[in-house]
Amino acid sequence: MLEVQGVSTRYGQISMLRNVSVALGEGEIACLLGPNGAGKTTLIRTIVGIVRPVAGSILFRGERIDGLKADQIVKRGIGVVPEGRRIFPKMTVEENLRMGAYADWGTREVESRLEQIFDRFPRLRERRRQIAATMSGGEQAMLAIGRALMGRPKLLLLDEPSLGLSPLLVEQIFEMIQAINRQGTTVFLVEQNARKTLALAHHGYLLQKGEIVGAGTAAELGESDIVRHAYLRA
Amino acid sequence: MPPLEVILQQAFNGLMLGVMYALIAVGFTLFFGVLDVIHFSHGDIFTLGAFAGLSLTFLWGAVGLGNPAVALLLTFLGALLLTGLIGVGAERACVKPLAKAPPLMTLLATLSLGLVIREAILIFYPRGADPKPFPAMLPQGLWEIGGVVIRYENLVILAIGAGAMVLVDLIINRTRVGASMRAVAQDAEAAQMMGVNLNRTVDFTFFLGSALAAVAGILNGLYYSEIHFIMGIMGGVIGFSAAAIGGLGNVYGAILGGLLFGVLQTLAAAFIPRGSEFRDVVAFAVVMVFMVFKPTGILGEKTIERV
Ligand SMILES: Nc1ncnc2c1ncn2[C@@H]1O[C@H](COP(=O)(O)OP(=O)(O)O)[C@@H](O)[C@H]1O
Ligand SMILES: [Mg+2]
Repeated sequence: MLEVQGVSTRYGQISMLRNVSVALGEGEIACLLGPNGAGKTTLIRTIVGIVRPVAGSILFRGERIDGLKADQIVKRGIGVVPEGRRIFPKMTVEENLRMGAYADWGTREVESRLEQIFDRFPRLRERRRQIAATMSGGEQAMLAIGRALMGRPKLLLLDEPSLGLSPLLVEQIFEMIQAINRQGTTVFLVEQNARKTLALAHHGYLLQKGEIVGAGTAAELGESDIVRHAYLRA
Repeated sequence: MPPLEVILQQAFNGLMLGVMYALIAVGFTLFFGVLDVIHFSHGDIFTLGAFAGLSLTFLWGAVGLGNPAVALLLTFLGALLLTGLIGVGAERACVKPLAKAPPLMTLLATLSLGLVIREAILIFYPRGADPKPFPAMLPQGLWEIGGVVIRYENLVILAIGAGAMVLVDLIINRTRVGASMRAVAQDAEAAQMMGVNLNRTVDFTFFLGSALAAVAGILNGLYYSEIHFIMGIMGGVIGFSAAAIGGLGNVYGAILGGLLFGVLQTLAAAFIPRGSEFRDVVAFAVVMVFMVFKPTGILGEKTIERV
């Protein structure tokens, strides 16, 4: 589904990602763990074409997408819940959701997807005319996920969707991600919460200072010294 | 205190000017809202719109287009299209390449472009230095209501201006490209992640803003019956001030600011002895006082973002 092969990026003169490789099979949940500043968000931004890699290649469903513009990349079936959610603050809930289906704007298809999202998140239906910025953090997280789903993605990228939420909401978000995956969407989940994430993911990667320093099944990662040391100090 | 009908007359005249200012101001505010740039040659784009309109009227004359309503419509459509495309060219030449440079660079580039436009008209338009008579294309005649004179052509000018503004509102709030403009204004990166083509959105924004300036340019020609290659300097300064009064980035603020500025100018002429000589001084003084007390403008923050 997604193959990131030897990708390097830089911000100006500063090298950020170095020779990063990640592979996701169809239907999987893979996770990316790593401390703050490791480059996780940079990898997400690189996959969707906001940042151009200086080396390496990215394949989505067998076709190269590195070098394409962001709008061309997401149109192929990638949905994003960006770091910090990045909902459109002055649009209503409904307008935000419609932005998620921007490529299909104005079609009847959008209306039926909207209904499906509202069925999945009844709270968003109640608030459909509310200005997004005035919603609570949990609601905004739901909105960001709903918006990403509006594009019917084959691959969903989530960059720390649970950040700043209460444990109860975090639980809900993780359950939601699992449900989305069960319905056939491949998921790439960036998180700092290693324990919960490894319980959910099939396999994962560990990123540190721009380099992949560990990879394996969720069980293997959970057992690995680096992860236990850095994240699971129980 | 001048008589009531004088005040009303001046207020009506002010509304006329205000509509034109508002159309220019909306461009400034769109560019700032979507791209955070101030496009200092926008006033000269307004001039170009007027000259494009004037040239087209000659063309219609040359090809023997008889129907005045059709000629008027084609003048507007042609000038809008032409000026809109020139606006996109201006953005591609002077704004986009400098997106990552300090804002001062964009300021210098667009100021220089304004100079280039003025010089180009001066050199390439036949006798470009002279004021050019603009043909009367609107129905002539007037009503007099209680001492206030209302010309038919002024009503048409008001209607066209108001129609243009309603159209902009619909485009921004009801269309896909309008949604992309609002999205980019609020969060350009998130907009791209939703599939918005950034370049196309920016191009369209400049097309729209510049086309509106062309509407203002033609209305200006129809109102004053003449146009001049330097009219964009004042037009630009006033349009920018109006956008600033309304709150840069806020479309409704820009419209309000434009109307306010027009009415201020004409009322200054009515209320102050020798006011017609000082109308600009008075209007700008009010703007300055205003900006000191409410620097974010009447309607505050950017709301191309939200209605
Ligand atoms: N646009 C940018 N320009 C320059 N440096 C950046 C930019 N964005 C992020 N960085 C830097 O890149 C590093 C990695 O950031 P990021 O990818 O956000 O890490 P993570 O998501 O793992 O916390 C950080 O040191 C950050 O300061
Ligand atoms: Mg991050």
